[in-house]
Amino acid sequence: MAKIGVDVGGTFTDLILENGPGNVFVHKVPSTPQDQSIGVLTGVDDICKMAGISTEDVELIVHGTTVATNITIEHTGAEVGMLTTRGFRDILHIARHKRPYNFSLQFDVPWQSKPLVKRRNRIAITERILPPVGTIDTALNEDEVRDAAEQLKQRGVEAVIVCFLFAFLNDSHEQRAKAIVKEVMPEAFVSCSSDVVDVIREYERFSTTAMNAYVGPSTAHYLHNLETKLRGRGIKAELRLMQSNGGISTVENCAERPVTILMSGPAGGVIGGRWCGGLSGEKNIITVDIGGTSADISTIPDGHIKTMNPRDTYVGQHPVLVPMIDLSTIGAGGGSIAYLDSAGAFYVGPRSAGADPGPVCYAKGGTEPTVTDAQVVLGRLDADQFLGGDLTIDPDLAHRAIEEKIARPLGMSNEEAALGIIKIINSNMALAIRANSVARGFDPRELSLMPFGGAGPLHGVALAEIISAREVLVPPAPGINAAIGLLVTDMQYEYTRSVLAVLNTADQSDLDNINKHVEELTQLCRDSLTADGVPADKQRFQKIAECRYQGQGFELRADMPDEPLTMANKQLVMDAFHNQHRQDYSYAFEDGVVEVMTLRVIGSAPIEPLQWPALAKANGQAVEEALLYSRATTFDGGATQDTPRYDRAKLLAGHEFAGPAIVVQHNSTTVIPPGYRARVSEYGNIHITAT
Amino acid sequence: MATKKLDPVTLQVISGALDTIAEEMGHVLFRMSFSSIIRESQDLGAGLFDTDFNTLCESESTPLHIGSIPGYMKGIQETLQDGEWNEGDVVIHNHPYYGASHSPDIAVALPIFYEGELVAFSANTAHHLDIGAATPGLIIDIPDVFAEGMLFAGIKLYDKGVRNEALWQFMGNNSRTAQALKDDLEAQIAAARLGVKRFQELLDTYGKETVFAATAQLMAYTESVMRQRISEIPDGEYFAEGVMDDDGRNRGKTLPVKVCVKIEGDSVTVDLTGSADQVPTGFNVPFDGSTKVACYCAFRALLLDAETMEVPVPSNQGSFRPITVIAPEGSMFNPRFPAAAEARFTQCNMMIDLIIKALAPVLPEKVTAGNSASLSFVSYSGLRPNGDYWVFLEVNEGSYGGRPFSDGPDCIDNLMANTRNNPIEDLGMHLPMVCDRYELRDDVHAGAGKYRGGIGVVKSQRMLTDGFITHECDRHIDVPWGAFGGHPGSVGKIEVHNQNNPEKVDELPAKFSGVPTKAGDVMAFYAPCGGGYGNPLERSAEQVLEDVLDDFCSRDYAYEAYGVVIDPDLKLDLAATEQRRSELSRVAAE
Repeated sequence: MAKIGVDVGGTFTDLILENGPGNVFVHKVPSTPQDQSIGVLTGVDDICKMAGISTEDVELIVHGTTVATNITIEHTGAEVGMLTTRGFRDILHIARHKRPYNFSLQFDVPWQSKPLVKRRNRIAITERILPPVGTIDTALNEDEVRDAAEQLKQRGVEAVIVCFLFAFLNDSHEQRAKAIVKEVMPEAFVSCSSDVVDVIREYERFSTTAMNAYVGPSTAHYLHNLETKLRGRGIKAELRLMQSNGGISTVENCAERPVTILMSGPAGGVIGGRWCGGLSGEKNIITVDIGGTSADISTIPDGHIKTMNPRDTYVGQHPVLVPMIDLSTIGAGGGSIAYLDSAGAFYVGPRSAGADPGPVCYAKGGTEPTVTDAQVVLGRLDADQFLGGDLTIDPDLAHRAIEEKIARPLGMSNEEAALGIIKIINSNMALAIRANSVARGFDPRELSLMPFGGAGPLHGVALAEIISAREVLVPPAPGINAAIGLLVTDMQYEYTRSVLAVLNTADQSDLDNINKHVEELTQLCRDSLTADGVPADKQRFQKIAECRYQGQGFELRADMPDEPLTMANKQLVMDAFHNQHRQDYSYAFEDGVVEVMTLRVIGSAPIEPLQWPALAKANGQAVEEALLYSRATTFDGGATQDTPRYDRAKLLAGHEFAGPAIVVQHNSTTVIPPGYRARVSEYGNIHITAT
Repeated sequence: MATKKLDPVTLQVISGALDTIAEEMGHVLFRMSFSSIIRESQDLGAGLFDTDFNTLCESESTPLHIGSIPGYMKGIQETLQDGEWNEGDVVIHNHPYYGASHSPDIAVALPIFYEGELVAFSANTAHHLDIGAATPGLIIDIPDVFAEGMLFAGIKLYDKGVRNEALWQFMGNNSRTAQALKDDLEAQIAAARLGVKRFQELLDTYGKETVFAATAQLMAYTESVMRQRISEIPDGEYFAEGVMDDDGRNRGKTLPVKVCVKIEGDSVTVDLTGSADQVPTGFNVPFDGSTKVACYCAFRALLLDAETMEVPVPSNQGSFRPITVIAPEGSMFNPRFPAAAEARFTQCNMMIDLIIKALAPVLPEKVTAGNSASLSFVSYSGLRPNGDYWVFLEVNEGSYGGRPFSDGPDCIDNLMANTRNNPIEDLGMHLPMVCDRYELRDDVHAGAGKYRGGIGVVKSQRMLTDGFITHECDRHIDVPWGAFGGHPGSVGKIEVHNQNNPEKVDELPAKFSGVPTKAGDVMAFYAPCGGGYGNPLERSAEQVLEDVLDDFCSRDYAYEAYGVVIDPDLKLDLAATEQRRSELSRVAAE
């Protein structure tokens, strides 16, 4: 009855295995970017051996993958064909006609220079559907559709999308054209905009559909291939995928709508963060996942993972209207490079030394000092403990690089320069944290900051101090937090549809129309969950009306009651919207006209969550048992102190100790500065608070 | 003011905080607002200003707003109700002869007090749908500034925290879209209040002395980067000139624009002497609020190009200081009161295009070939069945000229414009209009070149009920220039027909005011296409084939302009191409 979570990152593939309640194993293997499935299979084999079980005993594998994301980064997607309404061939080329920068003449326009669908493959079709109710003004010219499909087939196009204007009002033309294309090209990946995302706003809908097709064939191939390989090894486990919204879904579903797993990777971390908070009963959390090149930040108020406004969901520079966990990514990590510009200003990041050459101290040819080099100079990362001793580093190189590139030009000591690097990177991250929390109306003094990822716990306390967070909470296994997230989340399906209605003046027949669509969307969720074998009594449905004051351009989510809308309860939806508006903008137009734009139903089912083993209790045993050694370490205030290193594997529940201290574990180092105190909780979270 | 010198680390930290405040202000303003010109087009600006009205930080929204607010603040200071700032005041201001950019861009300004002392201002500007001018939305053919609608100078919308209900009621009866006007002002107030709060928090954290030492140093830093870039240009006077179509009333009378860019060490002067005298319509440019701002914009885009800068330079007053602008009083770029001066965008964009052209010989790797350098700003309006007005303002895109290392982008906002389009489906669901066509032009070619010019848009909007259209535009005469051997681009045009009589097509001038329309009337806007950069014969034949496959270029034009021979079955004929190209080279040499 074993379950495995396997999260593929740029450098490492992280695994967690639970073999019955509390029997948990974690592991890391190198990622295999050319074919992620190789690393996944190796990792699965390894971790089963560690647990002493046969791979046949695994019943569930949940997978977080960057395969779709990498296609967008590397521009290696499918050749896509597009059938679109005559007169509107260039919706994807024009986009929202806004430049990426205000002040630039030499700017790149990615949607024109690297289009998801080349112009030659965008073929105009005679047809016309008109607002406001979806009347057919000009019938679909089926001959043109057939000719276009033949043409695309001849060109060897692998995927075809059908994108017609106002299809969200009437999808009959799109569906008919799709059927014809499928007849002509039975092997192709064919989809239409009203299937992929049935909502108003043509550019965003078409872009989402195009992105889905662009990553579609390769992603589907990868997923099916992985499934086949697992079967080939006699692994009968169900394979599930982490989606961008933090819910898990089936291979079949994700192969059809791969656009839903573009943010699969970082989603696991946020979910894992919430769950680890729960180990200590903490519900208000800011997760900060710091890797080599970037940091992902998310705010979880009251255990509630927030979803991004659909107007803010971009992948690359392409809008993608799929639910994604609300997280902010900034270019700040251990590999971020520190430098001075020609006018002498001091910057850190967003440029990164990445994994290759990596920080200067890796001695792999890097010459520009990074954040990791600064940590080494300050004595916070010990050369002999780096990656548990797996990687040897050369501190002298770090000292020399910082001296040469920063300290000498600025007339500072090496230590001052290193402290400056840390201060700037922390400040950049803190601003992003504020933008994701305070700027959205959450009081940081009520939130615990949870740092994870390899570099997270080095920065946690400094970040919490800048943003005034209540405490720092370092999870038990910061290096594999995203893999944990895979084993603790729900099955989740979401369906949306644009249904426009003004609530203030809606009569019962308008509300019945909303109710009808909500019920249809609920049924779609129900069908998906039932197909996954979820019994009816475990299925939960959340109903949301995305509303705006009539005339505005941006919707906010308002919860709908479980029961159908009536004249008596429609005010609940309006009130929920006013409240959300006040939360986001600190103002509500109480007398404003509230317009529903899109209905959304989220169907979910809980899975049996992971049970993390409790730590043995300290029961008076001294923390000194975990002491490795002490070394001089420099802290943000500038003071250098002899600082004990504790082995995290030997810390027990109830241990408490004062800073300065450093806790070392295989993939992560936690810094507890002077003036702070650490306490180890029942399940191994380290709580750090100011004394 | 503070004089202590801060360490580079604190400086960087405060710089980031200021940027974040400005972005947050802009974000609240456009997310919350109602008219599409603010919420979709983001025709707004927001920032913080010191008591000498220096810009401390400003949001990344629309370039023409960036840099205009100091002018407003000076104008407010001259006209301020009661003559003094008090805690709780909210001031509105839009007077073009007291620093405003133009009258529809209303500023909301709040004083920031810290420990009882006035230390700074939080302010923003946003373009409003209708302020009760002579015609709905936009205006061109009007006699004077009083026909522009309500003019506010230093008026307190809140006085010491007390809301001036009389003023709100007055506005309610003096705009065709009064509800949107008032609601958008609420959004501006919310955004400005956020700026006050955030700046006070920053002062709490770092102390007043440190924050202002930082802002002074950041301005000096930005200024030094700009001066460094200017000093890299050889000293001298550089000239370019062009013409505007007309003033929107006196057809056939073109208006010259003359630019002299004078580089002296690390300073630059833009002298517009010789440009047209002020015109009798609204086609004039407020000097402080628009002419100067457009010059600042030109040099930021040219010399602090965000694409080629490793990190963005802090957006503050420093970038404006090395630039001096001269336009004789009484000219189109510096009109005398009470001349109307609402329709000022296309002149500004033309001036920027000419600054680029003037400097092209000495900055060949930083410029573009001729741009669309216009703006299509349209006001569609009509009456709802209940007698209320609806007004829709649309900004249509332009195109860029070819560039030293890449083609000119197609169908995109040009130079000082940087708005977003309004979704066709959103429009169709909410107003009695429907879009009939929105794609790249195929009736003309963009300028050929080693790097081709950008292709303009064609957008056809159909009115479903009777109404009015006003169009502020230009560039039906002056063709975007080709650079370093590139070919010129194409001018724009406007066509109008009725759906029931598609054969009868009328061509209209670029500017027209309050033209009544009938149900079924379709206005098609064709944007100018950019000029080419470099000799088209140097564009690789393979790339030209790609262009033909994508219909960016026809087979005939490939032959004619690029000397590339492509078979009817779309295969490249390299031998014939070589022959054709050497023939064209020979002709060119003669």
